[in-house]
Amino acid sequence: MILKTSLRSFFAHKGRMALSLTAVVLSVAFVSGTLVFTDTATATFDRLFASTASDVAVSPADDGADHNEQSGGAMARTLAASVVRQVAAQPGVKSASGEVSVSNATIVDPATNKSVGPTGGAPTLAGNWYETPNSALRITSGAAPKGAGQVLLDADTADKAKLGIGDQLRIITAVGDYRATISGIATFTTTNPGAALVFFDTPTAQRELLGRPGAFTSVVAYGDGSRTDDQLKAGLVATFGRTYQVKTAAEQAADNQSDVGGFLDFMKYAMLGFAGISLLVGGFLIINTFSMLVAQRTREIGLMRAIGGSRSQVNRSVLTEALVLGVLGSTVGLGAGLGLAVGLIKLMGAVGMHLDASQLTVKASVPITAYAVGVVITVLAAWLPARRAGKVSPMAALRDHGTPAEAAANRIRAGVGLLLTAAGAAALVAGSRSDSAGTGGALLGLGVLVTLVGFVVIGPLLAGAVVRVLGAALPALFGPSGRLAQRNALRNPRRTGATAAALMIGLALVTGASVVTSSMVSSATSQIDKSVGADFIVMSNNGGLTPNMVKAIQGTPGLSHVSRSKDIGVVITSPDGHREDTSINAVSPTYGEDLRVPAVTGSFEGALKEGISVDKDYADSHHLKVGDPLSVHFQGGSTRTLRIAAVTAEDNQLYQGEMYIGLDTAVRALPADRLPQDVMVLAGASSGADQAYAALQKSLAQYPQLQVKNQADYKALIKKQVDQLLYMVYGLLGLAIVVAVLGVVNTLALSVVERTREIGLLRAIGLSRRQLRRMIRLESVVIAVFGAVLGTGLGLAWGITAQRVLKTQGLNELTVPTGTIVAVFVGAAVVGLLAALGPALRASRMNVLAAIATD
Amino acid sequence: MTTAAAPFGSRAATVAGPAGGAAAIAASARQVTKAYGSGETRVTALDQVDVDIARGRFTAIMGPSGSGKSTLMHCLAGLDSVTSGQIRIGGTEITGLKDKQLTKLRRDKIGFIFQSFNLLPTLNALENITLPMDIAGRRPDQAWLDQVVATVGLAARLKHRPTQLSGGQQQRVAVARALAAKPEIIFGDEPTGNLDSRSGAEVLTFLRRSVDELGQTIVMVTHDPVAAGYADRVLFLADGRIVDEMANPTSDAVLERMLRFSAAETPVPAPAGPLTAGGDSRRNA
Repeated sequence: MILKTSLRSFFAHKGRMALSLTAVVLSVAFVSGTLVFTDTATATFDRLFASTASDVAVSPADDGADHNEQSGGAMARTLAASVVRQVAAQPGVKSASGEVSVSNATIVDPATNKSVGPTGGAPTLAGNWYETPNSALRITSGAAPKGAGQVLLDADTADKAKLGIGDQLRIITAVGDYRATISGIATFTTTNPGAALVFFDTPTAQRELLGRPGAFTSVVAYGDGSRTDDQLKAGLVATFGRTYQVKTAAEQAADNQSDVGGFLDFMKYAMLGFAGISLLVGGFLIINTFSMLVAQRTREIGLMRAIGGSRSQVNRSVLTEALVLGVLGSTVGLGAGLGLAVGLIKLMGAVGMHLDASQLTVKASVPITAYAVGVVITVLAAWLPARRAGKVSPMAALRDHGTPAEAAANRIRAGVGLLLTAAGAAALVAGSRSDSAGTGGALLGLGVLVTLVGFVVIGPLLAGAVVRVLGAALPALFGPSGRLAQRNALRNPRRTGATAAALMIGLALVTGASVVTSSMVSSATSQIDKSVGADFIVMSNNGGLTPNMVKAIQGTPGLSHVSRSKDIGVVITSPDGHREDTSINAVSPTYGEDLRVPAVTGSFEGALKEGISVDKDYADSHHLKVGDPLSVHFQGGSTRTLRIAAVTAEDNQLYQGEMYIGLDTAVRALPADRLPQDVMVLAGASSGADQAYAALQKSLAQYPQLQVKNQADYKALIKKQVDQLLYMVYGLLGLAIVVAVLGVVNTLALSVVERTREIGLLRAIGLSRRQLRRMIRLESVVIAVFGAVLGTGLGLAWGITAQRVLKTQGLNELTVPTGTIVAVFVGAAVVGLLAALGPALRASRMNVLAAIATD
Repeated sequence: MTTAAAPFGSRAATVAGPAGGAAAIAASARQVTKAYGSGETRVTALDQVDVDIARGRFTAIMGPSGSGKSTLMHCLAGLDSVTSGQIRIGGTEITGLKDKQLTKLRRDKIGFIFQSFNLLPTLNALENITLPMDIAGRRPDQAWLDQVVATVGLAARLKHRPTQLSGGQQQRVAVARALAAKPEIIFGDEPTGNLDSRSGAEVLTFLRRSVDELGQTIVMVTHDPVAAGYADRVLFLADGRIVDEMANPTSDAVLERMLRFSAAETPVPAPAGPLTAGGDSRRNA
């Protein structure tokens, strides 16, 4: 019986339900789409790695530091050709091949002088072409490279760069600059993870990529089937001891998996963030819908009660409706999620990661999660309205209008809301005053959460005050439509508040994030102004700067000096016994002119002669002062004792937490083949900065992977990087707004229906259609702008607190992005106008007589 | 209602005198037909109705349910379109006007009093009274407004919201709203239908006074012979035609006329008491 009435009621209000349904569908689609996408990607990579891994691989032992060596400028580690023979001679090994593979090469199309490799994320790999039982690539046209001057390119890169057999390629490696003709194109047999690959024949690869004839970066071996991978590994370990590291197929796959996993995890959490936002906002929409349905049906519910329905029956009937909504929304959302996953896979394909959409991996956990999320959220959101429905007295059936306003509930609401907001504000204030970023961050998180809930609770009460102020100008500006709109917006503060709250969440997020990001930009800019003395900064997009590049810089006319900088992997042991695996900067003596690192005690220049500079944090936590010794083990080299010559300040992100030594110190401590490439070169102009800049760009034009920046360009680059962070936030905002718009439409549509008679009356006494539409539009705009007021207020508080919390982390300047805030308000008004389109049209088309006659 | 009849005579004289001729007609219908549906399902609500509404008079339209009395009023007021024929308000022919012009006409020349739900709950009494002028962007004539408010006896309640007013008071606000804009003509759709007899009498007295003292033209649809007794003239409709009319009606005379309709409609003999009879005709709706 209950189910029947619930179902009837559900379908009677299908228009209204459709909006809530959309919210549920969006949320569930994001959740299930994300899961399916990441599962599919993981499964695809699993297959790829499983199919390409050799049974065992032998590579030079890793001596501790392994943080992405080659891209930090470190040289590739090698092993001798004799190791290949030793591996091949191992019992149980059927075949063994020496492999050359480096990730610090840059492929350039000489015709365009542009880098043809991937621009971010996936690597560019250069190596030797050799036959193995299961290679990831197969030559699909042309031939394998033979001798100097021939190179094999992967098909995806060839397609992207529009290169073919016979075309020239230039490969810039750590060793030098090498030109070759494409002899063949190889296609991935499984999924291309997005990398660009070039292959030479083995001697060329050894000579041009490693600079060491006869050397390999690893040995891959395949068993004859008589032994397991683990047994093969055990045999090899027995032979080589700890000189080389040996990995089974499973271990190789796991290594690769963790590389890809980081990226996939990021995607996953970002997408789940989207899902979370749409769930949160969707929850409000559902609460609102059910509240309105209950209010609308008060008489009907009263009648149900009067004829003997119990409270719990009424309660259950509302929850059953929510359940129907949840199940329906989850089902549609699940389907939409599969679509979303396919879309994402296509999108990934566009940026170079080719997954197979026909092999979607849908685990059982996906539908379970989808239904759990959709149904639980819907039923939870409908809980309050359902309770309210249960409380409707049988007398309501007899009353003309809905239940009278609940003064007591409002007082409780005000109390709870004020308390929460005050507690949240206190947490924010405490966070902004906290000395430690960790505590501050925790307080910030708490404050954000509690103020958000507080605002949601108190929103309806604020609606009265704020809308009165916002609407004050409406009558004067828009005449009777303005006045009617203002009154209508004030009429049901709970509804106005809840509708605006949905919008508030998104806008608070974007405002907070834009305060933080614009503060990041302004802080970075001012720090650059303050500390960077260099006129020019040269960095590489791929690996470090090769000696040839450094020479090219040094040979550029018009430069007063050139400062080099290397990242060196070290293990530092302080006198108190603390060991830290880290990297330090080895820099030229002129570096202090280019980056002014202020010393709290001692002299920074002194540290670059001999000795070391440490940051104040490190010095304080290990009770160190100038003159104290540090034991520094240079990875791949010797261990030196360096005395602290300077303790440096912490006030600037450019050098915060960094340690510096002189370049010469590093050169002495490391063998030449373990000395990494430069990560950055700074230079000053002797006179005529513009000419010097042009000269520098000219002398580095042959290296398209280099970024040559003057200070202004460098600032622009930082701004661009920060902006990319912001796009993500805008994406979130967009979604939150879509759902919030649905909420506004929902509220307005219901209001129009509820006020049918009023609208009829207004039209009868002479309100024109245009005035009527304007009235509804203005009401919508007022609600939306109210949401914007709450959202920006909350967002500003969050953003400012975040800046205070991160002050010690280099976010030392607060910038409030007025442009963004203005845009938020304008955007909110536009949202209001858009949301009102449908309801306004519907109202203006009502037949006057029919409207007046409505019950 | 002899009290109502007496001032009528004097008003008619003053209005007809200086204005004269066509100006004495506030609204007219010529050969107005209103039909719903087509073919076999066609229902004729008004059948070639001719009627003139005299200016400065209080006209009641009566008739059994389904006689077309409400339709006639809606058509005269520009709320409903006609199938054929012509309707004029003042000197303007309104048949064939677009929605925009009709809206403007209703706003500037017509006042309305509905049976219930006359007021916007978000506006107070005074705001409701001045709403038509607000909509038109006109400033109310303060002296006139004061006079209207005083006439309907609402001076003390102007700041009240409709929910804070009794049903009778709400209808009086509606009357004041209709009067305040000085429309050419006021249409009442059973304005006392939802009121008890005392409040109803109050409202009707105000309508009467507004005709007598303010020179207003009023057309009222009613099923209540007592209400019709306040009018100067009663038009009787049956089956979409004007079948009779009565000048200077009394409630007894109207009741007697209505009973004849009931007898004609239902073969059942006329009920005993006048109240029951009135009730019956209402219930047949």
